[in-house]
Formats: sequence, structure tokens, C-alpha cells
Amino acid sequence: MGRPIASRLLEDAGSNYVSERKIYPRDVRGRFDRLRTLAVFWLLGMYYSFAWLRWDGRQAVLFDLPARKFHIFALTFWPQDFVFLALLLIILALALFFFTALAGRLWCGYACPQTVWTEVFLKIEHWIEGDRGARMKLDARPWNRDKLLRKSAKHIVWMLLALWTGFTFVGYFTPIADLGARLPSLQWNGWETFWVLFYGFATWGNAGFLREQVCKYMCPYARFQSAMFDRDTLIIAYDPLRGEPRGSRKRGLPSVLERARGLIDRALAYGFVFRAGRHVAAADAQAEANARSIAAMAAPTQGKGIAAMAAPTQGTSIAAMAAPTALMSDPLPRFLGEELGDCIDCTLCVQVCPTGIDIRNGLQYECIACGLCVDACDSVMDKMQYPHGLIRYSTQNAIDNQPSRVLRPRIFVYGLLLLAMTAGWAIGISTRDPLIAEVLRDRNALYRETSAGIANGYTLKLVNKRREARTLVVRLADNAAGIILAEGQLTLQLEPEQVMAAPVELVSRNAASGRQPVVFLIEDTDGTLRARIDSSFFGPVR
Amino acid sequence: MIEDGAIDHPPRPLAQRLGAILWPSFFAAGVATMVFFALVDPLELRDITLPAVEITRSMGYSIGFFLFWAATASSSLFTWLLLRPPSRFTHPLADEHRGG
Repeated sequence: MGRPIASRLLEDAGSNYVSERKIYPRDVRGRFDRLRTLAVFWLLGMYYSFAWLRWDGRQAVLFDLPARKFHIFALTFWPQDFVFLALLLIILALALFFFTALAGRLWCGYACPQTVWTEVFLKIEHWIEGDRGARMKLDARPWNRDKLLRKSAKHIVWMLLALWTGFTFVGYFTPIADLGARLPSLQWNGWETFWVLFYGFATWGNAGFLREQVCKYMCPYARFQSAMFDRDTLIIAYDPLRGEPRGSRKRGLPSVLERARGLIDRALAYGFVFRAGRHVAAADAQAEANARSIAAMAAPTQGKGIAAMAAPTQGTSIAAMAAPTALMSDPLPRFLGEELGDCIDCTLCVQVCPTGIDIRNGLQYECIACGLCVDACDSVMDKMQYPHGLIRYSTQNAIDNQPSRVLRPRIFVYGLLLLAMTAGWAIGISTRDPLIAEVLRDRNALYRETSAGIANGYTLKLVNKRREARTLVVRLADNAAGIILAEGQLTLQLEPEQVMAAPVELVSRNAASGRQPVVFLIEDTDGTLRARIDSSFFGPVR
Repeated sequence: MIEDGAIDHPPRPLAQRLGAILWPSFFAAGVATMVFFALVDPLELRDITLPAVEITRSMGYSIGFFLFWAATASSSLFTWLLLRPPSRFTHPLADEHRGG
């Protein structure tokens, strides 16, 4: 007997694709906007300018892949230093954990390249196409001369910036001055051209189109950041105790902080948030209201008191408790002026949000903690002559009127780990061996018989990590088998930062047999560098 | 009918599906490339595999990266196939095969 084929009737006749709605963030001024702009200038300034800085006659920051050397100001990293790079990545990850636990998604809001470039692209869009309303209108309008001009101007500026970004990116791997000099004559090689275009295209696509979708659908950090959060983590939070029930009001009603109402009960406040969140925001409500029956709207328009709403939670009214739970998610009724909280439901916080969420619904994984809703709300509070902070940078405990402390075990554990690893890394970097010496036995022949005796071939690999030339003397430690360097003693001249492979031959005068341990001694002429390398010498078995 | 408790998520947009396959594999390939070439010099790798081929180091890195990406993207694609709900595969047979 076969399994029944899984099928179901789709009620919606249209497509069941969930298409992303385009988000038009409104421009906003304020503290957090200034901080973000500052971060953009600082970070992008570093990105675009560091490629042009010089240090000791070379590019200051250059990941020289063809030479297998990374230069970062005074430091040079070699492939053998990979452990430091790995450690650095671990330190960065730990720093991310530390700052997330302490202050939420600082990374997302201020430092993430996705945010930073999106910010710049938005500024350009705002500059060419106008503010939120103008952009929405422009998109809705049929194509005409003005729309074509504006759209193409925007894309040209975007693409120029994106290409410059790609050029700078490649400039960190190929000396940028040289790369720039070869541009007018189009003498880039295939890979250089490819990576400039690839990175430019990625910038244009990510910052111009994907934007918040990268954070919502592509970013792994957005998915696991909640693991670092607790109720004492600083987050962007709306204060429902003060703000609920939300609603428009006549001018002149003072803030709840100056009224008898004060803050309301926590469960009640979150109940209001839940019910308001289940129904469209006020901005859309007007349009929606026209489509709805008047009868449905009529009843809730009469003002109701919070006391009436609070009844079920107090458990005084059994009849109210017994009401079906569906009622709990019904649209909220209108409240009288005196009962209203400080949120005027202007939805500015939603309009400025680059990820298009309503922060009043509480902490959401889409929130990148940019703080623009705080700026927007503060500006509205100013207009209403209410105190700032209805939406603020705070902890969940503080919002809920609970004791909140920043210094907690989690912070200390992350902090100490971070400190220990950073110290270890710094010590490791500063005490790196300035000379790498390795001896590789030639694999082709175990030994050869020559007129001088049994001979073994080796390759000596030397890396001079210093910025000055070295003269190295290679000797062989005395050994019982009478094995010596064929040349007796080898003197090698190493240029600054040179990688050298030198062939070396050992001979045994008294016909060593089997495996004999040998020790190479490598010493600098001024005695500052010294290396001892163990290897083996093979002779015929007797 | 779908069995009780089973959730049949509507198909995601193509961009999301592509993103979920290409992006994590891109990331993993980047890390793998970094680790691999920190330990192995592409020129030495060429010498012990295809010594007759003319390549530069940068070409070696790029080839290595795209090989890693092909491998990790195939793995992501395979995972996506295995995680697709049965409803995506259980279609009625097309008309021309019925009764004809």
C-alpha cells in the first residue's frame, strides 16, 4: 500500500513566494546618526587611505601573496606565522562575544562593512533621489526623463564608488601605486581585473540592493548573537511601561512621567504591545480602515479605561478570565487621553529602521542596533515636550524596572580570556624567531659513494625575517661518525627578508653505516642569531 | 493532507536559495584557502603535481580558491537537496504520461 501523496489546497490563488518588500529608510538626525556617520568616516577613511600609506619604502599595508609575505606597518608576517593569524581571528571572535555580551550588536550597528557601505549608498541615494517619500514616489512613477536621469545618475555614482572599492581591495594585494599606474594603459592582468570587478560588483549588489537582507538571511552572526545576550545586555529597547497604550492625542497632554498615571504594570504593558503588534501599524491603518466595515471599527472607538483592561490580569472578574484566549489578540480599543502612554504611534521609529522592523515589538534578531529609532523617537519626544528615552539604549532588566548590573560573570570571563589571548599574541609576535632554518634531506637517493666517501645531499631552507642583510655561517656539530660538510664550512649571504634554499652536501670520511644523527649549527657572524637543526645521515648497512 | 505536526514551508525565493548555498560555501572556501596556502606554496604544489604547467602564485591561489568553492558549494547544494521537504518531490505525473 502506497503512502498518500502529500497535498493541500492553497487558499491564496496568487504566488506563494514571500517576496521581500523594499525598505525605504527615512533620514534622521541625532546622537546615534552622528556616531554612525563618524564610524563611517573613520572606517572607510582607513580602508581607502591605508592602501596609499608608505612605510620603510614599501606599501604600509600589503598582503603580498606572490611573495608570500604580509606587511602591516612595522610587522611582517610569513607563512610560518600562520598561527598568529589564527590566534588573531580567535581574538577577534572573542572580542565580538565580549562586546556583544556587554553592549549588544555594536558590530552590526557601527562597524560591519555591510552596514557601513549600505550607509554610504543610502546617503548617495538620498542625495540624488530625495528623502523617503520622494524615493517611494519615484519608484511608483512610470518611467520618464526625470526618473531615468535620477536612476542612472544614482547607479553611475554607486558604480564609481563600487569600482573604487574593488580597486582599493586589490590594491591591498598588489602594490596600489603600481596598479593605479597601469590602469590608464589597461595593463592589468586577468586576475587583477577579475577581482576588481568581482569586489566592485559585490559592493554594488550588497550595499545597493541586498542591504538588510544580508543581515537577515545571510549573516551567521545575526543567528547566534542571541547566545551572548542576557537580560543585562545593552540593547535598543522600547519602554512599554511608559509608552503603552500607544495612540495619538491632543496637544498639551503631558508625559506619563509627569502625570498621575505613571508607569503601568509590566504584564499589562506587554499585553498591549502584543495586541498592537498583531495588527497593522498606524501608518497603514488609515488605508486599511477604508477597506474595513464601519461596524467593526465602531465599537472600539469609545474610550476605555486601563482599569477595565487590567481586570483579567487582576483576576477579579471570573467572567473576563473565562473569555476565549482569541480575545487577547483582538485589536486594542481606543484609550482616553489620560490613560494614554507616551508613544504617540507616529511610526517614525519604523520608518527610519534600515531593516524595516517595529522596535516596539521588543528585541528582534533583525535589529542591528543602529539606534536610529532612538534618534527618531527622541526628536518626537522633543516636539511633544516629553523627556527623551521612550526608546533608548538600555538593558531588558532596566526596561522592566528590575535591578540591572553590567559587571557580571559572563563579562569577566570573556574579558579575561580576551586579555590573556591578546597578551599572548603580543608576546608571541614580539619574540618571534627572526630566522627560520630548516634542513630537508634529498629524497631521490639515500646516499652516494664518492671519492671523498659516503655522501648525503640536503637542502638548507633559510628565511631572514629581518629588515637587514645577514651573513650566516653553517657548520656541522662534531660527531663520532666523522661526518663533515663537504665544503668544510659554508658562508651564506642573506638579503633583507630573503627566502633562500641552498644545497648542502655531507660526507663521511670513515664510511658511516646505517642512520647517523647529525646536527647543523647556523650562526650569524655577529652572533645574534643561532639555530640548531637535527637531521640524519644515511650510509650503507653493514 | 500533510501529516499532523509537519510544517511545509512555502518555497523561498530563488535569491535566498542561491544565497544560502553560495554564501556559506564562499566563506568556508575562503577560510580553507587561507589555511591551505599558509602551509603550502602553490609553486611547490605545482612542482610535485603538474610541473609542465606554467602558473604564477596568484594564479595558484585563485585556482585553489575556486576548487575549494566548487567543493564546498557542492556540499551545500547536497545539504539543501536533502533538507527539502518531500512535498517538493511528490508531484503528480505530467499529463502526457497519463493514460496516453
